[in-house]
Amino acid sequence: MRGQRYWWIGLLLAAAGCSRGPRAVPEVMAVETARLPDGPDAREWSSVPEHRAQLLAQDLVEPRLMEPSTQEVAVRALTNGAEIVFRLEWPDEARDDTPGPSRMVDACAVQLPEKIEPDLPEPQMGQEGRMVQIAYWRADWQAWTDGRGDTIRDLYPNASVDHYPFEAKPLEPGSAARQQMERLYSPATVSGNRRAGPRKSPVESLIATGPGTLSPAPSQDATGRGVFQKGRWSVVIRRPLPQGLGRDQRTHVAFAVWQGSRHEAGARKMRTGWIPLVRRAGS
Amino acid sequence: MARVFNWQIGREMSYWYPESRPKRQFAAVLDINKCIACQTCTLACKTTWTSGKGQEYMLWNNVETKPYGSYPLAYDVKLLEMLGGQEWDGNRYAGRTLFEAAPAGERVLGWRPGHEDYSYPNTGEDDCAGQVDHGEHLSLPHAQWFFYLARICNHCTYPACLSSCPRGSIYKRPEDGIVLVDQGRCRGYQECVRGCPYKKVFYNPLTGTSEKCIACFPKIEQGIQPQCFVNCIGKIRLAGWISRPENARPDNPIDYLVHIRKVALPLFPQFGLEPNVYYIPPVHAPESFNRQLFGPGAAQAVKTYREAARDPDLAGLLCLFGSTEMLVSRFRRASETVAGTDEKGAELVRVPLREPVVVRPARDPRTQLVRINCP
Repeated sequence: MRGQRYWWIGLLLAAAGCSRGPRAVPEVMAVETARLPDGPDAREWSSVPEHRAQLLAQDLVEPRLMEPSTQEVAVRALTNGAEIVFRLEWPDEARDDTPGPSRMVDACAVQLPEKIEPDLPEPQMGQEGRMVQIAYWRADWQAWTDGRGDTIRDLYPNASVDHYPFEAKPLEPGSAARQQMERLYSPATVSGNRRAGPRKSPVESLIATGPGTLSPAPSQDATGRGVFQKGRWSVVIRRPLPQGLGRDQRTHVAFAVWQGSRHEAGARKMRTGWIPLVRRAGS
Repeated sequence: MARVFNWQIGREMSYWYPESRPKRQFAAVLDINKCIACQTCTLACKTTWTSGKGQEYMLWNNVETKPYGSYPLAYDVKLLEMLGGQEWDGNRYAGRTLFEAAPAGERVLGWRPGHEDYSYPNTGEDDCAGQVDHGEHLSLPHAQWFFYLARICNHCTYPACLSSCPRGSIYKRPEDGIVLVDQGRCRGYQECVRGCPYKKVFYNPLTGTSEKCIACFPKIEQGIQPQCFVNCIGKIRLAGWISRPENARPDNPIDYLVHIRKVALPLFPQFGLEPNVYYIPPVHAPESFNRQLFGPGAAQAVKTYREAARDPDLAGLLCLFGSTEMLVSRFRRASETVAGTDEKGAELVRVPLREPVVVRPARDPRTQLVRINCP
């Protein structure tokens, strides 16, 4: 029999640990390590316990998500004592990283309470006087940081543009006068909205004190990287370790996932409640 | 949801926020009968505000041919179908507004056009409602017809874009009622694009924010009409201020046309937004079509407009359209002239009720030659 002839391959894979998934844990475990991985494919992740966080449709405030999409997100975490890296992985039918009218992008977020305390703020974006910190990764920002251009032809390759007034003579390319005129047609840039770029990281640091209050954090200290492979997003988000989170101590964390092809954006998202986050010594 | 009063539908209705009217409300009247769809307004706006990167497809002002034109594609018929029956009981709207018809989990009944829906801004252009058959002749309303509908943001009293935004990034200015997207606060969720039934909010994919008509507020603040008004070669537009019906002033041009003579009507009042751009309906289109677009007052508005030639005050006011770039807050007629003034009564412009007509005889008496028109 053909199958019997290759029985040793299965044995080999099992011995290498390939057939075993990561150890499942009921809370998010931030394992101490000397070196934090840069990407979701790094070898360090293979030995980190995984928490499979169940996602719920955001149905607390309008606009609500009425049809649930992503069921769960697999979470692992590592810390070097100063920073913490979360690795989120979830299945997604399509890679949505091109924004446009009615084109939403895939995204995920990690939320932590501002302070470690037993009485937690509301898991849905915090509450008045009880701030939450959010690190938000977007697939279109990932594409930009990976090198995609920032013109309409990078989004719509067949787009035809007759004329931009700021590209007409006598304005010289790269000149201050030309840049100043271009900014006139980009009010979000002039207003200092971080969404308008320039984008150096696919992750934005945010704070919130309730639904509708999301604002840029004073310090943009989160970074990350996302990779789409075989119908799954794997994203790492790196940010400072919550202040005071010593070994074997707990705080809480929440997650959210958006699927662009299902028109999920803003409040229309799949999210978790608070999940315990514990720091553990590495093996 | 709060209960608010919407005079355009003659009743109270539900809205996400309590009633809060601005100190004064920017408004406009557009005379559809004069529009030739030259798109000068469209280009005036485009070159002024939306020539930037990510704004390529945006037309804050557009002119579409009715019945078949629409930008974005089918923005109106799609929502009319979603809303279902829209019955009026006299001047009282008996159907549901978009706020009252909002499904569970939503703030407003809406839909979001796909990017391909913005790809055909001149669909239906100059297309007649039907075939002009042999033997047909002109009569009013025309057996076959079309007309041009110029559209900007309506700077609604109850904006659906504003109520749709979950983070309060859209606001209505208390000083003039102009509705703006806070470009520093918007995060590009496109809920406003979904909520606005007129589809006059546009997502900019390169800045990640939504943008819309700003009624050229830097000009309004200086007492000057917006770009699409002053560049209109057909002189179909007049910008000004509208009062609530009970406070209507006969010397306020917009009040006079909307509240007193009721010759200018809102677009799709049944949606419940109390839009502040008003239209003099086309005289040659079927009453049923005008009624669907402009509400139950459409037939009377057409009748009043057709009699304007014998109505010196109305005719005089219509002559003020396109006569000055300044905002005309008041008007007064004196015999055969009509003057537009600012709020303090200072005269801005004076025009004759009827332009003097000069007929040149076909034969030039000096040269004794027959005159010809050179091409």
